[in-house]
Amino acid sequence: MIQVENLHKRFGTVHAVTGVTFTAFDGAVTGLLGPNGAGKTTALRMLYTLMRPDEGRILVDGVDAVADPQGARLRLGVLPDQSGLYPRLTAREHIRYFGELQGITGADLANRTEHLLKLLDMAAIADRRVAGFSHGERTKTALARAIVHNPKNVLLDEPTNGLDVMSTRAVREIIRRLKGEGHTVLFSSHVMQEVSALCDTIIVIARGKIVAAGSPDDLRRQTGHPNLEDAFVALSGLEVDTGVSS
Amino acid sequence: MTSSQLTQAMVVCRKELTDWSRDRRSIMTVLISSLLAPAIIGFMFTNLASRQRQVEDITVPVIGAANAPALVEWLTQQPGIAIVAGPADPEEAVRTRREDVIVVIPDDFAKNFAASTPAQVRLISDGSSQNNRPKVQRVRALFLRYGNEIGSLRLIGRGINPVVASPVQIEDVEVSSAQQRAAMILGFIPLFVMIAAFTGAMSISTDSTAGERERGSLEALLVNPAPRGAIAGGKWLAGTATAMLSVLVTGGLLVALFQYIPLQDLGIKFVLGPAQLVGTLAVVLPLCPLIAAIQMYLATFAKSFKEAQSYLSFLMMAQMVPGMMATMNTMPTKAWMYYVPWIGQQSLLTDVLGNKPIHPLVFTVVTVTNLVIAVIVIRATAGLLVREKIIFGR
Repeated sequence: MIQVENLHKRFGTVHAVTGVTFTAFDGAVTGLLGPNGAGKTTALRMLYTLMRPDEGRILVDGVDAVADPQGARLRLGVLPDQSGLYPRLTAREHIRYFGELQGITGADLANRTEHLLKLLDMAAIADRRVAGFSHGERTKTALARAIVHNPKNVLLDEPTNGLDVMSTRAVREIIRRLKGEGHTVLFSSHVMQEVSALCDTIIVIARGKIVAAGSPDDLRRQTGHPNLEDAFVALSGLEVDTGVSS
Repeated sequence: MTSSQLTQAMVVCRKELTDWSRDRRSIMTVLISSLLAPAIIGFMFTNLASRQRQVEDITVPVIGAANAPALVEWLTQQPGIAIVAGPADPEEAVRTRREDVIVVIPDDFAKNFAASTPAQVRLISDGSSQNNRPKVQRVRALFLRYGNEIGSLRLIGRGINPVVASPVQIEDVEVSSAQQRAAMILGFIPLFVMIAAFTGAMSISTDSTAGERERGSLEALLVNPAPRGAIAGGKWLAGTATAMLSVLVTGGLLVALFQYIPLQDLGIKFVLGPAQLVGTLAVVLPLCPLIAAIQMYLATFAKSFKEAQSYLSFLMMAQMVPGMMATMNTMPTKAWMYYVPWIGQQSLLTDVLGNKPIHPLVFTVVTVTNLVIAVIVIRATAGLLVREKIIFGR
């Protein structure tokens, strides 16, 4: 479970995240939905402890992520905004490297690796160097290494961005499976369909603030738009600012 | 550092070394930079030796060769000596630098020689000219040797052991220009070994810091619960290992090369054998951790891989300054110099190659100082990995 209270982050004069408060529960998928530049990545970076909030509190399974970032990281599996790979290592080596850093060894690590390779349908590419991988294969590798230690809480920053249909399906499958196993899954996206298809709770974020939160049905009701995309556009205030009329 | 941190550091180290060993460019860098030192030194010595040989082949103009056919015959048999007839105006020829040295054998040479009274040979040379001095001395030495040989024969003819006529024996230690040049070339060896350590660490120092961020893999790596110290430490160990490897290869190649350089022919008493190699490695290997640590610290600041490389190029030039100064000025080593990192290593290295004994205390102090500074620097690097500006490269 991840609890966030009154999170603030400024970069110079820019107030990137302003008073964000929400809770992501176990066995549920929570989506952070917002246009590019809304503050999703900044918020997630604070959750996965690589950025320090100027204000506010983050609890990961009750561990204060600001006071004890290392303790929080132990409970997190993260697919960060930048999920670069090592071109000269194979997919399997990527998973093994992160597994070993998490303290998993021996048969345990081998089993876990095999399990993930099968789950993500990566058997054919497991021992190839990632230099020649497609975007989808790269994302799968990054995802596998992020959850090799079977973390209780999983944070995914735009996991399906730029993926083809098959890879998107594989990622969605993993998210559903994690939910079914009782994990807390929090992911960000700017794609409405994605969020509505997967999430139990949607948090709409725009200009650093939460503008709405709730189930897909809640959001439709709040905005009076039967179409979720219209609801999203109305909530994020895109019409007013950019002149885009959905 | 706890044992789990050490394990994590080893995991990082192993990964970086695997990654490095698959990078053809970094392997080539180490190979080429290792070959550079032996190649340059070998080239310089070959060049020097061939110039030396040119000096060896000299032509001596002789006037009045008919007055001493036996002497002239002996002279022509000496290696590298060619005898030609001298010009009609010997003194004028030398004064106008047409000739460096001219030998004149007077008409009464044979008469005096037969009577066992000193037979005169005239050497005409210009003492104000520096360039021909070695040549004049060589010719003079030839006549002295001839005189000694004949003198010995005469003593034997009178039943006296010629040794009694040599109460003092002179051993010549020449400091001619060729030897100075050779000594200077040898002075470059510490510099080359240092450069080897430097280039050896460079790939991992840049690739695992600025390169890691540029590839976008740093964020994912730092989300791991492994402490920053273990991550920075592992990378540092890997950089240290490649620096050491580079030093080992360069040292080995230099020793192999020196088995083929005819230093004795150049009149140099210099040995670069296994003993000197061990000494060199003992001095330079403890420097590798410091080099890797400093490189990594600087490269972590760089915004990109390229920027990191240019930082480190500057650092490399800076580290060459003390070595260069020592080589050029051959300034005497002062006691305090041993305790300054870098300069201390250079001084120790000069001692090792000059076959001077190393004081164990000095060696220990220098080595420990290095390691302590390296650990401080790598801790500072670990501290950088907490900063948002460093992680996200803003």
